[in-house]
Parts: sequence; C-alpha cells; structure tokens
Amino acid sequence: MTAIEIGRLLRAGTAGFVVGCRVNQLDSPSFGALASVPLGDGYKIYGLIYDIRIDDDGLVRQLVTADGVDESVIADNRINRNVPVEISLLTIGYQQGGRIYHLLPPRPPLSLDVIYLCQQDELCQFTAAGRFGYFRHILRARDLPVGELIAAHIRQAHQAHCAAGKKDWISSATQEIITLLRDDYVTLMAVMGALGDAVVDL
Amino acid sequence: MALDFLQVREKVKAIGENAALRERQRQNLREEARRLLDDNAQEVERLREKIELAARSYDPTLRCALPVQEPLNAAVPLPELPPIATIIAADGSQINPDRNAPVDYCLINVGAIQMVHGLPDPPAITLKSDLFYDEEMFTDAGTITEGMLALMRDLRERTMLAELAEQARPPVITFTDGPMELWGAKDGDMAGGFQKSLEEYQTALERLCEMHVVTAGYVDKPAANLVVRMLEIGCKLTEDELVDVKHRFPLRGVTDYDLYRNVLKSGERSAVFAIQSKSAGNYRGSLALHFFYLNVGRPGHPWLARVEIPRWVADNPLMLEYLHAALVHQTRIMGSRPYPYILHRAHEAAVVSFEDKEQVNQMIAMELRRRGVPVGEQSQKQAVKELQGRTSFSI
Repeated sequence: MTAIEIGRLLRAGTAGFVVGCRVNQLDSPSFGALASVPLGDGYKIYGLIYDIRIDDDGLVRQLVTADGVDESVIADNRINRNVPVEISLLTIGYQQGGRIYHLLPPRPPLSLDVIYLCQQDELCQFTAAGRFGYFRHILRARDLPVGELIAAHIRQAHQAHCAAGKKDWISSATQEIITLLRDDYVTLMAVMGALGDAVVDL
Repeated sequence: MALDFLQVREKVKAIGENAALRERQRQNLREEARRLLDDNAQEVERLREKIELAARSYDPTLRCALPVQEPLNAAVPLPELPPIATIIAADGSQINPDRNAPVDYCLINVGAIQMVHGLPDPPAITLKSDLFYDEEMFTDAGTITEGMLALMRDLRERTMLAELAEQARPPVITFTDGPMELWGAKDGDMAGGFQKSLEEYQTALERLCEMHVVTAGYVDKPAANLVVRMLEIGCKLTEDELVDVKHRFPLRGVTDYDLYRNVLKSGERSAVFAIQSKSAGNYRGSLALHFFYLNVGRPGHPWLARVEIPRWVADNPLMLEYLHAALVHQTRIMGSRPYPYILHRAHEAAVVSFEDKEQVNQMIAMELRRRGVPVGEQSQKQAVKELQGRTSFSI
C-alpha cells in the first residue's frame, strides 16, 4: 500500500511536532491517527495527531460576512490561497535498528521533513510492541483532551488489530489504561467514558 | 517627539470651530447640485455643446464629464449576469530603484486572476515578474524612474488582460484597479517614454476591442467632481462667465460621490458620461474613455465606485449590462466591504512584500559574489536609518 503523505514539518520539540499541509491534503489525517517521520538509516519517529488547526485570515473573515459564498470562491481559498493548516502531533515513540521504542526519541525531526500516515500494518506493529509504554506520553499530556485522544486512537488501533485477527488487543489496552489510572479516578472515568462511546459500535 | 503636537492642536481646534458652519454650507451646495442634476436631466445636448465650447474656446485643460445619451439623473437597475462568463482581473506592483540599497535594480510584478462565473472551478492565477538590472535601467533620458516603472506596470496589466482574454471562454469581462487612463509625465524627460507606452497601451486596448472583450477600470471611493464640474459649467455659469471658467467653481467642495450617494439605490448605475480632458485626445474612436458611477453598497449603506470604460463598451448595451452585473456580483462576494473579490485576489497575487524584496536583494548579491563581482554597500544614510530607535530613560 502506498504511504500517504500528510504534510511537512513546520516546527518540532522532543515531545511533539507540528506539520503544515495544504487543505486538499486534509482528507487523510484524522484525530487520534498514528503518523511517522522517516529520517533515514532506519530511524523513524512516531506521533499521534491530537489537533488539526485551520487558521483564518483577513479575507476569509471578510468572506463570511457575505450572504453566500460561490463554490469557485471556496475552491480559490482552499486551493490557490496559502490557507494555513497545521496538524499537531504528540511524540509517542520511535524506531531504530528495526526495533520500536515507546520512549521519547533521541532527537526531533527537522524542518520540512515529510510526515506519513501509518498504514494498518504499521499501526498494529507499533501498538503491539512492548507493553503499551506509549500510553504514558498521552496520559501525561494534561493540556490535551486525553480521554478523547485515547478513545480515538484505541478505536483505530482496534480496527487494525481486528483486521489482522487479533480481537483481544483492545482488552489488554483497556486493562493497561485502568492500571495506569488506578490512582486518578477522575481521569479514568473520563477516559473510560470516551472509550465506551468510541467502541460501542465495533 | 516627532511632531509639535501643540501646533497641530491649535490647528485642529480651529478646524473644529468652523466645522459645523462649513458642513451647513456644503450641505446647501450638495442640495443645489442634486437639484441641478434633476432639473437638467434631459438637457444632454445643450450641456454637451456648452462644455465643448468652454473647452474649445476658454480652457483646453478642462476636465469634467460630458453627457452622452442617457438622462443625467438616470439610475439603471441591476441587470442579470449571463449564466457563464469569464471574469479576469489584473493588478501590479513594483520594487522601485533604490540607490541607497547595496544592489540597484527594479522589478515589476503583475498578477492576474481568471474565474469563470457559473462554474465551480477554482480561479487560475497568472504571474509575470520582470527584473531590470544594469543596462536595462538606462533610458534615453537617464535612468528608469519610479514614474516610468509605474507606467510600465500599468501597461503590463492591460497587456496581460489582452493575452489571457484571447484564450478565454466568451463573454469575457476584464478589469483593473484604478482609472483606465494611463498616467505619467507627458512633458519633459519622460515624454518619449510615455508616448511609447501610450502607443503600446492603445494597441492592447485595440486587441481587447477586436476580441469583443469588456474592459474597465474600477475606482473605489472616487473623490473626483467630474459630473459636478459639468453642472457648474453647464448650469451655473452664463455664456459670458465662460471666459473665466478656469477660476469659477460655484459648487466647490461637492464631489460626485455626494451627488450620487442618495440618487443611486443598491446595485444601480448612473448614466454613462464621456470624459472631457486634455488627454482625452489620446483615446479616440472606440477607445474614447467613458465612465459611470455604481452603487455597490447595501440598502441603507451606499458605497460608490466610478467605473471607467472605453467607448466600445459604452456603446454596447449588452456589454454594459454584463460589466454592471459582474461588478456588483464581485463586490457582494466580499460581504460588508464591497470591493470586487477578483481585484483583491489579483492584488494579493501581485503584491511584492518587504520580505520578497529582501529575498531578491540577497539573490542578486549572492549571484554576483559567486561570480567574483563586487557587490555595492548600503548607503550610510540608509544604514543609520535602520539603527535601533532611540530609547528613553528615566532618572
């Protein structure tokens, strides 16, 4: 399967990075999706999408005051104009020498590095490696909507694992979350509530 | 302190003291101008003859409106846009020559946007960036000036419209920002350059005319008094007073904007007038310049634009309707700030930012250094201007 490019790196730190993309690239990335930045020599950084931000500008603010907006004007603003779309990712691990680590990477990616959306096999590979060590990074990010992020991620990962015939992955993941949040009842309830909504139809 | 605010304040106070009286006087003049417009609405022939007489016999530099056919106070309602129409706008900007900069060059950037009304396709953008360096900056009269560069930019805008219109699906409606008349020094050192540009400009207009393309210049918030001046001469001055027409302004202070803002309802246009001016002779026959006022505002919030058109558009009712409808449609896209969307986009495409200029500076300097050519230095004057501003300190 061809890797889907979702944009290029705008800025980065050890714990996270921000990607810029065109509006017409915005179909693929979704909240909670796993993405990777291959950096050569088998070194690859993984991140979880936690925010997709579409900024306005003076013209867009002006256009919304009109009674209606022509389709060609919408297309002009989405395709021709430099509408800034930013995707923020939380760093949750890396790969080096063929091995996946659920640790923060030795160094962040660099400006204009290309970011790809992880396909189902890679999602399974990353989430099945180790013992859910990457959950630490998500649960530590108190400024993010942790419950919603975990729920969206588990839903996507569960679908990938089911397709690979591993239906019990979700039980292990949920058990791990309960263990990690055993002393934080409020967060645990928020995460479990979101998880319940996310997987109810699966 | 950059200003002596005490001196300014004294003047501001004086302005305020007289403001109410001046406004009352001006209001009386506005009402008189509107009355004259209505009372003489059908006097098209008489007014035209009187203005031609004044220009011919007493003031060859006279600049005012010349009635054509429609009643002076005509208010033409908004027509329908054709289901499919190509709309093209062009705009330009430039980097002026700067002898204080390390490298001396100039640049013209022209951008055009082409959209097809009635189709959902995104507009197409065309850009043309011309850099002038070294020998290219010399002219017969010396070196290229800001005025000449502006002239070349205006010419390139219209030429680009003609080139794009050739490939476009008819009907084609094109416009630029500002008046259609090419501005530039007609005397002195620039006269030769102006004449050459004018001839090329006329050629571009003739191409548009041959292709049956609608073209116009859009003047936002016009400050001119072309129609008011016509009323002054045609209705206020007697035949005897025409001798002194250069110095008689009985409606001074009233603008065409004042005249039409309450005459035209939302979407309506005024009558079409010809332009009487010294330079009108540069645009003859089908190129002769005309104009009308257009209320692009909303009900209760009038906003006027002056739209300049060549005669081939003024004489063709269908072209006039297409232009009228297209401009109102374009301005309505912008909601509460009625200005043609496509013109704003052409401006966005063409504008050269300070950062762009710095980048071009660096590109030229790097290329010269790479080839072992010495690069000049910024002038001391410019360097000290760019020093960090003075900071105050407290005791």
